[in-house]
Amino acid sequence: MFKAIIESDKLKEMIEAVSSIVDEGKLNLSSDGISIKAVDPANVAMVSLNLNSDAFEEFNASEGELGVDLKRLGDIVDMAQKAEMVELELDEEQHKLIIRMSGLTYKIALLDPASIRKEPKIPQLELPATIVLSGNDLKRAVKAAEKVSDHMCMGVEGETFYLEAESDSDRMRLDIVKDQLVSIIPGDARSLFSLDYLSDMIKAAGKANEVTVELGRDFPTKINFQIANGNGDVSYLLAPRIESD
Amino acid sequence: MTSFNDLALICERIENISGSLEITQVVADFFLSIDDKELEITSRFIMGQIFPVWSPLQLGIGPGMLYATLSRASGLPVRDIKELVKKNGDVGLAAKEAMANNNKTQSTFATFVEEDNVLSITDVYMRFVNIAKASGKGSQATRIRNLQFLFAQAVHTEAVYIARLAIEELRIGVGEGIVRDAIARAFDVTKDDVEMAYILTNDMGMVARETRLKGIEGLRKMDITLGRPIKQMLAQISSGIEPVVREMGSVAVEWKFDGARVQIHKDGNNITIFSRRMEDVTDSLPDIVSMIRNGITAKSAILDGEVVVFEDEKPGAFQQILKRFRRKYDVDIMVSKIPLQLFLFDIMYINGMNLFNNNLVLRRQQLLECVNPSATLNVSEQVITSDVQVVNNIYMTALDAGHEGVMLKNPESLYSPGKRGKNWLKVKPLMETLDLVVIGGEWGEGRRAQMIGSYQLACIESTTGQFLSMGRVGTGITDDLLLELTLRFKDLIIIERGTELDFVPEIVFEVAFEEIQKSPTYNSGYALRFPRLVRVRDDRDPNEVDTLERIEQLYINQKGRVDI
Repeated sequence: MFKAIIESDKLKEMIEAVSSIVDEGKLNLSSDGISIKAVDPANVAMVSLNLNSDAFEEFNASEGELGVDLKRLGDIVDMAQKAEMVELELDEEQHKLIIRMSGLTYKIALLDPASIRKEPKIPQLELPATIVLSGNDLKRAVKAAEKVSDHMCMGVEGETFYLEAESDSDRMRLDIVKDQLVSIIPGDARSLFSLDYLSDMIKAAGKANEVTVELGRDFPTKINFQIANGNGDVSYLLAPRIESD
Repeated sequence: MTSFNDLALICERIENISGSLEITQVVADFFLSIDDKELEITSRFIMGQIFPVWSPLQLGIGPGMLYATLSRASGLPVRDIKELVKKNGDVGLAAKEAMANNNKTQSTFATFVEEDNVLSITDVYMRFVNIAKASGKGSQATRIRNLQFLFAQAVHTEAVYIARLAIEELRIGVGEGIVRDAIARAFDVTKDDVEMAYILTNDMGMVARETRLKGIEGLRKMDITLGRPIKQMLAQISSGIEPVVREMGSVAVEWKFDGARVQIHKDGNNITIFSRRMEDVTDSLPDIVSMIRNGITAKSAILDGEVVVFEDEKPGAFQQILKRFRRKYDVDIMVSKIPLQLFLFDIMYINGMNLFNNNLVLRRQQLLECVNPSATLNVSEQVITSDVQVVNNIYMTALDAGHEGVMLKNPESLYSPGKRGKNWLKVKPLMETLDLVVIGGEWGEGRRAQMIGSYQLACIESTTGQFLSMGRVGTGITDDLLLELTLRFKDLIIIERGTELDFVPEIVFEVAFEEIQKSPTYNSGYALRFPRLVRVRDDRDPNEVDTLERIEQLYINQKGRVDI
């Protein structure tokens, strides 16, 4: 069984964080809250999200899985006003998700969880450098890079976090020094990433006060941040483009 | 589980074999080595088909999307991908070379996780299913990423065949004929049984699987499924009224309408209309649906007919009909703007009974019994006669009424789906025309510099499914049409060499000509004298263009004429 009430903004935040990576997701329910793990169709980006029961006004769930078309759910939840309460309920008989908000009721079909791409195995990575910065600064860097190229390099030099993008003719470099960061643990780090994925991730991450970026050399990056006023967290993993000569 | 690499290796091997018997053996052996599900997929894949024709799933990956995907997967800019395609003359080889490049290649998590990463035949198919199913907002990215996954996982020569399958052109010389023979050989059944089951189901994958699982008994039990199109019986162009009457004895004469052929499935209140290309066009033709609902008394039926548009009681232009077919928006407005009439002339199935083995006379009886004609729903007039003069009169009346000519049918003949046999013949006064697929083109010069001014035509070699060139057409095209064609063909460009272009073979031209000539220049061995574009056949599938055999036959016939 599943029945929950949550503020629309928190729900939107959660859906956006996942639906920027996958169209369909498996919601794992337990009495503690909701969690989702998913990998994008190209096996290049992963998302892992937890939303604690504390993020909800009301939360009742038994252990279970719900297959959800996230784009569809997102479209529907967009109908809710800011700060409006949204009620979610599982109709077990019809296998549908009921969504209620001020007078509006939707019933959407759930997907067979078995039809959804299986949860990814999350690689165990030891990433030497960790940078904590404001979501807005990371968003600005991604936007700046997009003007030049379709990929961006992220790296650490001393205590400076740098971002570079390059095309045949143009070049962009952004240095963010220690003072402008929340914190930095320096390490050997320089990896290249596709901007289309980073810009998908930045949609949700850009709104966070603090974003933690973990980096290595030609290694995936981990981008972590909190949602729902600290009652949930999102972790993205992105595989690099590898330059070899 | 069979890896996709095994299939890639087989394809590579087949490319180096020239004899179709030997190819058939290789395909048959491979069929025996794979499991049931893989067999179903592979018997389509091997002829460059992803989904059965009746399936509503459409892959819809054009060269543009393919290049964008290869660019993302390989890290090379799209410009470089296009260069590779041009250099290799093939998207498959270009894909392989692009993925072998080690500059900024997009890695996947597979690189960082200890896991078995073998791509299976089923994996590849499932990704194509995901691509076909993606719709709505953000679906472009989903499609690209699913395809990107395949390229990222590909090893050895897999990328070659993934790229070619993505544009549904395997180019290894295996067509329906070879797959049919390979199924027969692998599972020890006759080619004719395989052929018949394929005709009834239009699904080579299903035929292969049933044959393996249930043998000849299962194969013979395969039947028509209402709602899935079957191939239509086709007509040849006749040599003239007199010789036909002389040969057939008595002929069934019907008007030949210049309309769009449709196949209608009625299953209770469920009505589905298919175009000649077996596309479901039901949604664009609500008027035809209600004609059937109100005018067909049989509970279930499969009907063959022609949709015709009339303007001031004269048959309207064929182009008008095409404005109705496949329309998604303003359907209701168009129903009143371009009203259609339906002329039914055959029936293949009624109330659970397959009528293929009934002759034309019996089928027509069944047809007449189940139709309640109205102002728009008709059964084509038919006269059975052995009098040449009577046929001539009907022919002249048809032409006077503005129709194309007449059909002469053998009253004793059975319904043979997909066959262009001698039992149905069309007589029309026009200069001979051929339906040929456009495989290439050339940028124009001078006034036509911004436009694709001439088009390379090809016929089909029916066993291998290969397209063979037979010269260019550049006349009979108005500037307006040229502009429209340029816009359409631009999206189909695979390779550009200077002003020369190669296209994805998709658009079919009906071409008129004076004479067929032998020609060493083109790989069909033939060329057309004074070719002229009559019209674009949007209702025709590239696989349905005229065959090399037919062109050879026409060549021989025309020589015969010269001798007289």
